Amino acid sequence: MSWRVLRLEGVGKDFTRADGGVAEVLRDVTLTVERGSFFTLLGPSGCGKSTLLNIVAGFEGATTGGASLDDKPVAGPGTDRTVIFQDVSNALFPWMNARENVEFGPKMARLGAGERKERADTYLRLVGLDADAGKFPFELSGGMKQRIQIARALANDPDILLMDEPFAALDAITKKHLQVEFRKIWSETGKTIFYITHDIFEALLLSTHLAVMTAGPKAGIKEVFQLDLAEPRSPSNPDFAAMYSRVETLIDEEVQRMRAR
Amino acid sequence: MNRRTVFWRTLSVAAALSLWWLSSGTLFNPILVPAPHKVAVHLWEMTADGEILFHAWASLRRVIVGYALGSVLGILTGVAVARIRIAEDMLEPPLQFVRNITPVAIIPLAVNAFGLEEPSKYFVIIYSTIIPVVFNTAAGVASTPQIRVRAAMCLGAGRWDIFARVVLPSAWPFILTGLRVALGFAFMGVVAAEMIAAESGVGYLIMQSRNMLLPEQMFSGLFLLGLIGLVTDRAFQFTIGRLMRRYMLQTAAFD
Ligand SMILES: Nc1ncnc2c1ncn2[C@@H]1O[C@H](COP(=O)(O)OP(=O)(O)OP(=O)(O)O)[C@@H](O)[C@H]1O
Ligand SMILES: [Mg+2]
Repeated sequence: MSWRVLRLEGVGKDFTRADGGVAEVLRDVTLTVERGSFFTLLGPSGCGKSTLLNIVAGFEGATTGGASLDDKPVAGPGTDRTVIFQDVSNALFPWMNARENVEFGPKMARLGAGERKERADTYLRLVGLDADAGKFPFELSGGMKQRIQIARALANDPDILLMDEPFAALDAITKKHLQVEFRKIWSETGKTIFYITHDIFEALLLSTHLAVMTAGPKAGIKEVFQLDLAEPRSPSNPDFAAMYSRVETLIDEEVQRMRAR
Repeated sequence: MNRRTVFWRTLSVAAALSLWWLSSGTLFNPILVPAPHKVAVHLWEMTADGEILFHAWASLRRVIVGYALGSVLGILTGVAVARIRIAEDMLEPPLQFVRNITPVAIIPLAVNAFGLEEPSKYFVIIYSTIIPVVFNTAAGVASTPQIRVRAAMCLGAGRWDIFARVVLPSAWPFILTGLRVALGFAFMGVVAAEMIAAESGVGYLIMQSRNMLLPEQMFSGLFLLGLIGLVTDRAFQFTIGRLMRRYMLQTAAFD
């Protein structure tokens, strides 16, 4: 449990396509994610970000290399790493109300009813939905559902949250609220975050580290930044604005390269 | 129901009865197609002397046994087809073939194989039930969203928990649709079987009335079939609404 770094070493991934050909998606991806950091992955659409996250989650095996927590290789899904999916309607259990969804992990850990309730209370309160505990997913808005998914993940006390564009499907205002709230939750809980987004603004607002990927096929890591931006972070700060255009340029280069092919 | 609905629905029933009443004696021979009030009187007599209940219960008992067995077998087979590779390879060919053979066509075979007594009726009902249940169950199990399963894996669910707490609940709306269709099929199967080979049951009642030229009894049997079908379907819906409501929340409509 007391790992220090999540390591991706020489990760390559090929898929067999439906037509029998081979899709060479990732090549030699090497990254180090420090415990407690908020690590964000940016890159052109289809370059392999979700594939990389699925490898860390243990849903898919790497073709070469692999992920490890310190020296312990990731061999499959585990309760130390919980994924927050963008498609929250399918990720939640529709036949369970908010509380039952949040209690699912503790239940799988065979905790008693008392402790389960306590955990659910704690994390429902943390995401501001203690009053909606009895509601079913279909009764909740997209933003509320995403909060439930976050509470459900935290109730299981994982080390790392793996988040694949968690707020991308939300409207601008809800998204802004959740970004601010989620950054608070991150700093309060001290979880390690591995985060994917297409939104440079979001990445700069939330992250401690940021990696830009090259365009696929055979995508890799183009550049990694440690973000020591002035707090509170704001697009009107000069360092924020400078970083924004720098990252934007890198991604544009990759998109151009992809188009040229 | 508001007053408008009540009005039109009452009118609909009245219109149907009038049409029947008018056509008996004009369009049809009144001896062979008796008027509704004659049927009503006959139905009342048959109810009073217990004959209706006897035949209704005979059919219902067969359906309860056959449907229960067929449902359980159908769900288990459907799950196996969707989850176990060998089961899929072994069962798909016969199932895909057999699904085209309507239950009515299987009755002579059932009689040859299982005789004239109850077992052949059970066989026909199980056969009628199992096909829609298997295919709906398999479709439901296969349609479980992958990320829902993955979410459960991250939360520490093992193979059994994933099946019992994620895959099966995700499949319930499909399975229940299959069970509801199968209930209708079960009645069709049992009535047909009783018409061909039985000493009791609603199908027997109808067939016997034709042979013995008792048209009032035939209509009473038809009425009984409609009534039993309606009541059991409503009972099914009511039970689902009570016990399985939370699993139906994932689908837009079920009625
Ligand atoms: N199971 C699979 N079989 C074949 N090809 C796949 C499979 N999964 C992903 N790919 C391919 O791998 C590439 C990377 O996909 P991935 O979903 O990881 O991209 P992404 O960076 O997350 O894209 P986006 O930003 O649009 O979400 C794509 O070209 C995709 O077509
Ligand atoms: Mg993706």
